[in-house]
Amino acid sequence: MSRVGTPEQQPPAPGGRKSLIGRLADWIFNSALWKSMYMNPYPRDRRTRGLAVLNSLFLHLHPGRITRQALTFRYTFGLGGTSFFMFILLTVTGVILMFYYIPAVPQAYFSVEDLETTVAFGQFFRNMHRWAAHAMVLLVFLHMVRVFYTGAYKPPRQFNWVIGVVLLVLTFLMSFTGYLLPWDQLAYWAVTVGTNMAGATPFVGDKLKFLLIGGYDINQNTLIRWYTLHVFALPLVAAVFMGMHFWRVRKDGFSR
Amino acid sequence: MAQPQPVKAAAGEEPQRPNPKEQVTVWPHLLLIEFVGALIYTIGLSLLAILIKAPLLDLANPTRTPNPAKAPWYFLNLQELLLHMHPSLAGVIVPGLALVLIAAIPYIDTDPSDTGVWFSGEKGLRIFKFSFVYTTLIVLGLILFDAFFTVNVGGVDYIGTRGLVAGIMRLFMSPEAIHAQAQVVEWIAGVVIPLIVMAAVPGALAAIVRRRYQANTRETIIALFTVFVASYFVLTVIGTGFRGESLRLVWPWQLKPPH
Repeated sequence: MSRVGTPEQQPPAPGGRKSLIGRLADWIFNSALWKSMYMNPYPRDRRTRGLAVLNSLFLHLHPGRITRQALTFRYTFGLGGTSFFMFILLTVTGVILMFYYIPAVPQAYFSVEDLETTVAFGQFFRNMHRWAAHAMVLLVFLHMVRVFYTGAYKPPRQFNWVIGVVLLVLTFLMSFTGYLLPWDQLAYWAVTVGTNMAGATPFVGDKLKFLLIGGYDINQNTLIRWYTLHVFALPLVAAVFMGMHFWRVRKDGFSR
Repeated sequence: MAQPQPVKAAAGEEPQRPNPKEQVTVWPHLLLIEFVGALIYTIGLSLLAILIKAPLLDLANPTRTPNPAKAPWYFLNLQELLLHMHPSLAGVIVPGLALVLIAAIPYIDTDPSDTGVWFSGEKGLRIFKFSFVYTTLIVLGLILFDAFFTVNVGGVDYIGTRGLVAGIMRLFMSPEAIHAQAQVVEWIAGVVIPLIVMAAVPGALAAIVRRRYQANTRETIIALFTVFVASYFVLTVIGTGFRGESLRLVWPWQLKPPH
């Protein structure tokens, strides 16, 4: 187990000639470029393995060490991590879709059709984006359920639970704003139903609905608003909240 | 000489867990899990994306309303509530209040014991199961009641909670007077009765688990959170799979795709 992911475990045979691959590896890992990229030698022992995580921008929200219990799959089912991974997949596939999608009535619909029929792998990335979005809603919801039933919200993690509830709402909103963009019958009428519900808010319903759809009907104004929310505003806000969420996980400690 | 064996946990106590002090390095132990998890999800979603096409219907047409018009699946529970109560209640107040109450959980249950234990142990699991079945049965019962309970007042059918209200009003008033009071019927049936039901169902459950299981705060909140989870689940399934034309109850195989 501990050897996985750590090639080059064996020290070179003393005095013997190295294989071609060994010499190539030496040439890469001893180059000035490589050494300037990584602060630490390749992590082979406990200390360098800890440092590899702590000194990495992308990994540093992990602690250097972790209790074995926290890794128990049947405790977390990996729901939080995979929710985040869905967000990454959605960002990648979403950017690809953005290259082709036109947020205008009615080009929007035909740009999605084009994406499906003429763009290489267009249909694949649109499908992937759609299913990952559904998966993210489901995973985030299940993550909340898991955290509740394991009592992982208890002190000192109270506020991270609140951030989590905000992230749940943001996930719903990100998914729902994306629903309108294909501008087909499903999108248009699902959004009609949804915004009518928001319009039923006591006292401010009419104004809220006006704000959401940018007028009295779902049209170009709505599309550009939801597009902006979907591709920029909500993901940005969600990313900030995710940063807070993960930071608090690290600072509050794991619940097991 | 035999080594002294650790004492087996007595019934009701939490099962013995591995030594909490035992630490491993995140590289590679956790990172490997994360990497494999990411790989599995990428492959799974790729297969899904290859096999199942994302829906794209006809160009949006504001003059042609599909029947039924449905929100995305994760909002179908709220759309289901719309059928049974006033829109402000179903679309805004109930979900808003639910979210606020969920966010408030750690400030109500402040006892840090049992952190990281599924259901806080055996008793919590039994309370969860009981609460899930309780909620599911009641929610299904309420949906069926609201769909099929009919009271005929002066040749007009009042259905569900409206039937209940009209049936009671008939004891005091003539059918014509009841018809004239449509707004009152609507208000009692769509606001007052749902509010009473939504307070009574979790309230009664809390009282039951406190008496039957001697539940503490955490266990009572497990029961109440389960009301939320179970009703979210049941309402979503009903809204997705059992609501056909004009949002009437149908069997899933009677649904016309795409819905």
